[in-house]
Amino acid sequence: MRKIDISEKISNTAYIPIAIIAAILMIIPVYILFITSFAVPSDILKPHPDFFITRFTLDHWKDVFLSGNIWPPFKKSFVVATMTTIIAIIIAAPAAYVIARMPSKIKYAVVLSLFFTRMFPDVGIALPIAVEFIKLNLMDTYLGLVMAHLIVNLPFAAWILVGTFETIPKDLEEAALVDGTSKLTALMRIIMPIALPGIAVTAIFVWLNSWNEFTYALYLTISDRTLPLQTYYYVQRGGIFDSATYAAILTIPVMLVTFFLQKYMKSGYLAGAVKG
Amino acid sequence: MRKFYAKVIAVLVILSLLGTLIAGCGSKNVSDARKKVLKVSMGLGEAEWKVMKEDIFPPFEQKYGVKIEPLQIEAGDLIKKLDAMHKANAMDIDIITQDNMQLAPLVAKGLVEDLSQYRDMIPKEVIPSLVPVGEFDGKLYFMPYRPNVEIAFYNEDKFNEYGLKLPTNWDELLQVAKTFKEKEGIGRVIIKENLGPDSTVQMFDLIRSAGGDPTVLNDEGSIKAFTLLKELQPYLSPDSKKADWNTPVEYLAKDSVYLVENWPYTANVLVEQYGKKNILAYHGWAGPVKESHVLGGEVIGIPTGAPNKEMAIKFMEYLMSKEVQEKLVTKLGWPSMRSDAYGKVADWQKPYFEAINEALKHAEPRPNLVYWADVDKAINGALREIIFEGKDIKTTLDKYHNMIEEAKKAAESK
Repeated sequence: MRKIDISEKISNTAYIPIAIIAAILMIIPVYILFITSFAVPSDILKPHPDFFITRFTLDHWKDVFLSGNIWPPFKKSFVVATMTTIIAIIIAAPAAYVIARMPSKIKYAVVLSLFFTRMFPDVGIALPIAVEFIKLNLMDTYLGLVMAHLIVNLPFAAWILVGTFETIPKDLEEAALVDGTSKLTALMRIIMPIALPGIAVTAIFVWLNSWNEFTYALYLTISDRTLPLQTYYYVQRGGIFDSATYAAILTIPVMLVTFFLQKYMKSGYLAGAVKG
Repeated sequence: MRKFYAKVIAVLVILSLLGTLIAGCGSKNVSDARKKVLKVSMGLGEAEWKVMKEDIFPPFEQKYGVKIEPLQIEAGDLIKKLDAMHKANAMDIDIITQDNMQLAPLVAKGLVEDLSQYRDMIPKEVIPSLVPVGEFDGKLYFMPYRPNVEIAFYNEDKFNEYGLKLPTNWDELLQVAKTFKEKEGIGRVIIKENLGPDSTVQMFDLIRSAGGDPTVLNDEGSIKAFTLLKELQPYLSPDSKKADWNTPVEYLAKDSVYLVENWPYTANVLVEQYGKKNILAYHGWAGPVKESHVLGGEVIGIPTGAPNKEMAIKFMEYLMSKEVQEKLVTKLGWPSMRSDAYGKVADWQKPYFEAINEALKHAEPRPNLVYWADVDKAINGALREIIFEGKDIKTTLDKYHNMIEEAKKAAESK
């Protein structure tokens, strides 16, 4: 009979309460955000607002949607985040595959160099980068923001994907090559599908980073704001309910993207491939 | 499989072509079209933009056949954006209205045009103290546009409940703060101590009210101001440390603070948006020597290299006109920069408008110093050490006085 040590016992019994506490801590701010956006002002504008509100109103949502100020920034943020994600995956996935197959010494040097651009805070490098982009007439363009967001996200995307490709046995592609497929076909048909969970994680990560990005958007937009800038505007101007509504709208696509991409994050892909 | 690769390559080619297309939009035709557009940057709330778009911009657009493109840019962000566009030699904003608390960096970085040659455009009816706000080293960089001043917002219900009168001097302020603390067990009065620009404004008011000079900082008035603050400290709201120009709205709306000085836009949010009719305002309190309020507000500037400067000059003159100033009084309840612009404010705005006009009588502009950032640091450094770390007032103020003097010498030697 297998011996169960104390730490295993604790983790077996404690993980449920810990998981519940962690979930509550993460959900409460989102809950407060949403109830504020649906609350009757007098229920919130008091020293100790009730945790559960009983009166709901759609007025704040109506105001935001009827103002005509929501769709342009929403569209801009959505298009930029999606384009950034697609381009980041297209560039980072093959690069990461090549890096993963390099000899260890070279590989770590390359991975380290990937993070060179990330060694400086965005606020420090945003101005010189913005200046160059403005010279290229990229102010207020989708392309300018996509390129700026790629600067931030490509190193991380490549790093995550290097880890993913490292876990895929080299034998799989070698077997495919023996069967007569080309290296590119082996990559596209054998390796990429197995790497799908890692690619999904990377895509979510990049999309969320781009969706929430603020610093470059601040420098590179003057007429058409992104949604985080629009939300910031209302927060700055003291409108509690408008701010909460914009922030709630900001979180909805995040939930949807995470929901739709998380199904690719199941662990069965690799197991199935190895058995096959 | 080949088809698949062909598709991938096609997508990449299309993307790069698209990028080149967007990046290449800089032809002379676009530049001509740009002359028909006037890009105006302002930092306004929704209600204020509505008035601009419906009442202020259209007459100018019709008269000059130009399309005004409004840009919402907050004062701090404007400096960053202008800086980036200036460095790229691609300025794309024609005219700005900027918070007069944030002018020095614009001048120091060469981001705004010297408007001295247009000095005659300033109407003779302007309130005289508004002109020096835009002057740096004898040159005029900004035109007067909108005066503003902090007024004291208070919770009428709570003052009535405890039978309190509105404080008109430091002794009464201390008494009111003590009473709220005794009655409720927590401070309900805010003096802004966020160690940022907002606490600098508050310290300016206190020091000048005691006859001191905040840019000297170790004179008798400054010592009196810090002494009062130290005495007040136990009775202040804990939110004093977080209070900036924005947060008092929330504190007043939630009835967690009963007395705080803040900018007049507070009334628009509290009354118009939240229906909080029990929050009223008055001009505030005096110190041992006088009543003093920092003269805030906005001025007009033209960014260096503005593509449509000629039209921007005309718009600048238009904004200072009696016609526009009267509309701003009537529609927004903004006090006017002109002594001859009388508007009729809405009934709900009247008490706040009166408080603003009364406070403006005691308003003093901040000096335009190129070493302003050092003065700001010194005042907040002294605030932190004296109030939060309990250090000796005189010794600490001497230390920060020396810091300001060194910055002054360094600036003069340049």
